[in-house]
Amino acid sequence: MVRKLLISMLILMTTIGTFTVMKPEESFAFSNQVLERGAFGDDVIELQARLQYLGFYHGKIDGKFGYGTYWALRNFQESYGLKVDGIAGAQTKRVLVNNSDFDREWVHAQINAGRDFTYYGGIPLNQQVKGNKGSSGSTSYQLPPKFTEQDLQLMANAVYGEARGEPYEGQVAVAAVILNRLESPDFPNTISEIIFQPGAFTAVADGQIWLTPNERAKQAVLDAMSGWDPSENALYYFNPNTATSKWIWSRPQIKQIGQHIFCY
Amino acid sequence: MKSAVYLLSIAVIALGLYAFDVKEDNKQLQQAIHAQYTNSLSNASEKLSYLQRSVAQSLLFQDEKALQNELDNIWRTSNELRSSISGLPLNPDVANQWLRYIGKIGDEAKRASTNGDYETWQSKMKVVNKNLEQLTDEWAVATAQFYENDGNFDKWQQVAKTELEESPFKNLASNLKTYTEKDFPLTTSESDWLKKRDLKHIRDREITKDEAIQVLEKLVPGIEDATYTVSKSKDDAPYPFYHIQFVKGSRVGYADITVKGGHLISFLSERPVQPDKNITQEKVKELVQQFIDRAGYDDLALVEMRENHEAWHIHLARVAGKHNAFVYPDGVQLKVSKDSGELLGLNAMEYVQRENINENQPVVPIDWKQFFRPNTVVEEERFIYTENEAYELRLCYEVIARFSDNINQTYRVVVDTENHDVIKVEQLP
Repeated sequence: MVRKLLISMLILMTTIGTFTVMKPEESFAFSNQVLERGAFGDDVIELQARLQYLGFYHGKIDGKFGYGTYWALRNFQESYGLKVDGIAGAQTKRVLVNNSDFDREWVHAQINAGRDFTYYGGIPLNQQVKGNKGSSGSTSYQLPPKFTEQDLQLMANAVYGEARGEPYEGQVAVAAVILNRLESPDFPNTISEIIFQPGAFTAVADGQIWLTPNERAKQAVLDAMSGWDPSENALYYFNPNTATSKWIWSRPQIKQIGQHIFCY
Repeated sequence: MKSAVYLLSIAVIALGLYAFDVKEDNKQLQQAIHAQYTNSLSNASEKLSYLQRSVAQSLLFQDEKALQNELDNIWRTSNELRSSISGLPLNPDVANQWLRYIGKIGDEAKRASTNGDYETWQSKMKVVNKNLEQLTDEWAVATAQFYENDGNFDKWQQVAKTELEESPFKNLASNLKTYTEKDFPLTTSESDWLKKRDLKHIRDREITKDEAIQVLEKLVPGIEDATYTVSKSKDDAPYPFYHIQFVKGSRVGYADITVKGGHLISFLSERPVQPDKNITQEKVKELVQQFIDRAGYDDLALVEMRENHEAWHIHLARVAGKHNAFVYPDGVQLKVSKDSGELLGLNAMEYVQRENINENQPVVPIDWKQFFRPNTVVEEERFIYTENEAYELRLCYEVIARFSDNINQTYRVVVDTENHDVIKVEQLP
């Protein structure tokens, strides 16, 4: 009986010991990344959620370390007597973890479902979900300030519809042509008007623009928005095997990428 | 036999009904598009007349308030008209020329409204008014054919698809081109901007294809011994360059290198990126610095870093002048993989174009407390060079300011150091 009791106690103590040893790992937060402006991903989601939990951050929890997160972090650092630099290093993260809570599973579930939500401490989580916004955080991107997620989506549709069989360079070039038109006085002022200008893009005419773009097309658009232009300032392109318009053949040509000749 | 005939009859009737239904649907669709296009066409014609009247009326006034009102109308109408024209199935030459001409009128109106130089406006618009009146008449004649098709959309489309040489828009296109060149000749700064864009200033010796590959391998050591395909740009390209396409293992990419001087203007490499392996932001900065040193870009400074799913995009700018100002039009962009820090992209076109900066532009101090409302906090301030709307490179204050509420919306405000014109206001994410 005593032996049984001892064994049970030993098992219990081992279990408690294991949990005690595991606890720091379970509450272990963040990776070893030092987070600063420009960072993106799960660590930033945690940073924003913890800052919001403490009432310092009031923006959207989207994993993008922009200025909103930056000022909130500085205010937190100031309030907790830390070095105020807007950088989440080891010490800042430790103080943040010790003073806040983070339900990773719940927060990520809201983001993946595209829900609009907050994560303030002291308010039941079910009262902090405001509804569906439609776009999933896991598919969003950090874009240069003058572009929106809608621009990226629309351009990716155009690139995929026009050039999905082309090399990556050709896809970035098609996206760059759209952006070159945006800068040119000869074309409309918005990405949407440029893409839907009658006769401007074959993919609009034959409906292929409505195909769901893949990740590669989105990356191509992202590179073009970030400044790359493999077309070297082209305003038009055409497939020499299928183009019948005399007008397009009269344009001065710059280079050929895959099946497309780029011209201006 | 009887049954077969009966079934066949039913099938034929069903097929006939189906075909009739499809045809009706198509007809309705065509009519809807026809109505939409006709509406846009009428809309564009009305706005064109309105714009022409507003330009004429703006020549009536000397009174600032009355003139400002007309200038606002002109700027707004030119934007709306551009939007209407861009929605019409016009020949690309006609559409492009229209958009440029109308846009120029709008730009001039905005400039006059901002700088108060009404005399320049009125002297330019005397000619524009006459030409615009003529163009409005020509537009009315050319578009009349769209209304004369007895509702037949096929005929309507035929008018839209006619090659310019046989099109009713031929005269209009030709006049638009002439008037654009005469009424709105390129300014010195616009002309300089075009020269710079076309790399006219590069006078270096021409390099060979092999030397171009050496340039690429020096800057991007990771692709040494790749399989290369090198072609030269087409004869009409504004500046000659080598187009190098390469394959090395899972890497596929390209680089464009100028023939004169062998300047790398653009490079991109595509390869699978391991999703769960991330190097730190500090490491990325370190690698960027190593690249800058290797490339000899010793006047560049880091402006911005943006992390995404597979790579970091890094924006650098040249630092120049006695104010150590960031010359934004001389930027370099880098793309660095998140898994290993490998350089996946380089865009140095703007850096190669290189601006001439005016170091003597006066710097008139600004009291930001007076400039911004009381609930605005100025967090950062530095000097930059950037282009204004007239393509002039100006020394400016770049201010990062935020509202002092709990949302902290942050803005980048660019203000000319001499005349305090606000050149750009941009909300930062």
